[in-house]
Amino acid sequence: MNDHVMGWDAGAMDVRRVVHPYRVDPESVGNGTPTEKAPDPQLGTEMIPAARYYSPDYMKLEWERVWTKVWLLGGRSDDMPEPGDYICTDIGKESVLIVRQADGSIRAFPNVCLHRGNRLRPEGRGNAEKFQCMYHHWTYGLDGKLDHIPDLCTFLQGGPKDMALTALPCTEWNSFVWFSLDQDVEPFEEFIDPLKRHLEPYHPERMAWMRDITVEWDCNWKTSVDAFNETYHVQGIHPQLKWYLDDVNVQIDCYGKHSRYLIPFAAISPRVAMPSQIPPAIHEIMVHAGMDPAEYEGRVSDIRRDVQLFKREHGASQGKDYSELNDEQLTDDYHYTIFPNVSVNVHADDVMLFRQRPHASDPNKMLYDIWMFGLVPEGEEWPERVRHQHFRHGDKTIGQVLDQDAFNLPTVQTGMKSDYFPGLWIGDQELRIRHFHKVMDDYIYGPGEKGPDDL
Amino acid sequence: MDLGLAGKKAILVGAARGIGYSVAEVLAREGCDIALTARSEDSVKDAVASLSKYGTKVVGKPVNAKQPEAYKEWIDWAIEELDGVDILVPFTSAGGGMGSEKYWYNAFETDVMAVVRAVEGVIEKMTEQQRGSIVLLGTTSTGEAMGGPQPYNAMKASLITWGKQLALWHGKNGIRVNVVSPGPIEFEGGNWDMIKGTMEKFYASQLRQQPSGRLGRPEEVAKAIAFLASDAASWCNGSHLVVDGGFTNRTHF
Ligand code: FES
Ligand SMILES: [Fe+2]
Repeated sequence: MNDHVMGWDAGAMDVRRVVHPYRVDPESVGNGTPTEKAPDPQLGTEMIPAARYYSPDYMKLEWERVWTKVWLLGGRSDDMPEPGDYICTDIGKESVLIVRQADGSIRAFPNVCLHRGNRLRPEGRGNAEKFQCMYHHWTYGLDGKLDHIPDLCTFLQGGPKDMALTALPCTEWNSFVWFSLDQDVEPFEEFIDPLKRHLEPYHPERMAWMRDITVEWDCNWKTSVDAFNETYHVQGIHPQLKWYLDDVNVQIDCYGKHSRYLIPFAAISPRVAMPSQIPPAIHEIMVHAGMDPAEYEGRVSDIRRDVQLFKREHGASQGKDYSELNDEQLTDDYHYTIFPNVSVNVHADDVMLFRQRPHASDPNKMLYDIWMFGLVPEGEEWPERVRHQHFRHGDKTIGQVLDQDAFNLPTVQTGMKSDYFPGLWIGDQELRIRHFHKVMDDYIYGPGEKGPDDL
Repeated sequence: MDLGLAGKKAILVGAARGIGYSVAEVLAREGCDIALTARSEDSVKDAVASLSKYGTKVVGKPVNAKQPEAYKEWIDWAIEELDGVDILVPFTSAGGGMGSEKYWYNAFETDVMAVVRAVEGVIEKMTEQQRGSIVLLGTTSTGEAMGGPQPYNAMKASLITWGKQLALWHGKNGIRVNVVSPGPIEFEGGNWDMIKGTMEKFYASQLRQQPSGRLGRPEEVAKAIAFLASDAASWCNGSHLVVDGGFTNRTHF
């Protein structure tokens, strides 16, 4: 019986119950986020070499052929509404200034002074009329033009070429700003395809910052990307989520460079018996939707659908416009991986985004950015921008579920370095991991060019 | 010791799972005919099907105990199907909940009134028979604080008081009424199963409170209920039996 949405035999999995969650009819979604199952790419069953996660050589290839070639997420548009507002964000050894121009457009430049290489600004946000380097006061305009060199007459060679910082490609989409370190990068439209239609219906511009955290993790950035690319680890790492989501009936879709999965939320995992009482986390979902769980007469297995119907009926009166979302999206986790390093959980009422950045030199370290945004109901005041926090793993909690991931990842990173661990033995619940590595291969070795001896 | 349960007719309300189902199983094994109900049709069907293996008469139909008329009809149907009623054990409960006034109404309807209606539904027949045994379900949370101030604990407490009154009132007609208060009981799909999965630390703290280092199993309560329901407990009337593996601290003088 191949009755799982992915074509597996649901009854042969390690489950207590075979469950077929409610799914919307793909025909019914109109211009909204597609729900149709994408054809699975044929990616084989080969091992993914472990050395990719710790080899300095591979890290170098990644830098040359991935990080400096792709579009990268820089920040939020609403952090830079006014001319002179800027976001300064680091990626590997580089740092980039993204600046709002007088005409409302944005421009991006390497955050480095052309004189002796000083960083112009520390990482973060701010507003500037000009960018004056602290070291010797070389001064750049918002447009990156080198407006003033003190004592220019003492430079016999004159000023640097074009008297301007290198202009890097940048753009705004769906309330986020994006940039590339590659001046010849493909158009953003091509890069992001087909996710525009997927993600725009969520209207993240109606959402405000809820959390802005950077944590230093002791693992490779891909170790983290992998962890968010499968729900197979829920049973091991997040046992409590079995009373919150269906980790088994997950639809996986791979699209070109990117991928997604759809996880039913407000559901009970088929791996456990159906409880008769409403689990605390699902109770919370109901309260958040505006329902009174005490009034609820249905069965626990009906809650997901009933929350969808309730939100559909009452969303508008709560100032929440769900008109472009399908019913599943009102409860479920649509989780996208935007190549290479963005894992984003999109929900009707919030977006929980993780940006995974490589360390500048150590493949065993990374920066894990948590960006959370919450829908601001119409008529409600826009909340104050949360403060950015930066700390090392373990210094503070980042919430139960992410703590569970965070505490596990360093163990994976060290384990993978064992001489007795040749590589990752990937199953089809981890298809997105395989897909991600295939996209990495295509960037690093050229499409389909990876040889048998290549890492 | 012969419990004298063979051939007895038992009505069990809310008996498709957990302690209720376990009581059904113990009674069926002892030779009782059984009429049971629960809210969900599927679970009643499953329970009836799996209890049939003990060779006694087992019937069941779903009913919502919050709908008095349908519920009364169900009890009449059960008495008729069994051709009498010797044992009644109502297990209905709305469970815990705090923070909404509605929980009081839920607990009143399900923990109290669904039990009251069951008792009132059988008492006439039992009086006519001059024979009957009723076991009500309390909880250790009535005698020792657990889970914060919630209607569940308070409403369950009222059953212990009411059970005693019933015992005194109907004793002259050969009807015994006793109360069993279980401590934390764990079974697949039960609350403690979910608590174990979702609140690991709290669960561990409860284990530490159990002298035996584990929670109870449904059949360990079911056997105590079966005993009180049986003729072997003919001199138990108006008693309140705590079945908790030593979970509670209180001494009953
Ligand atoms: S390094 Fe910037 S002015 Fe000298
Ligand atoms: Fe995880």
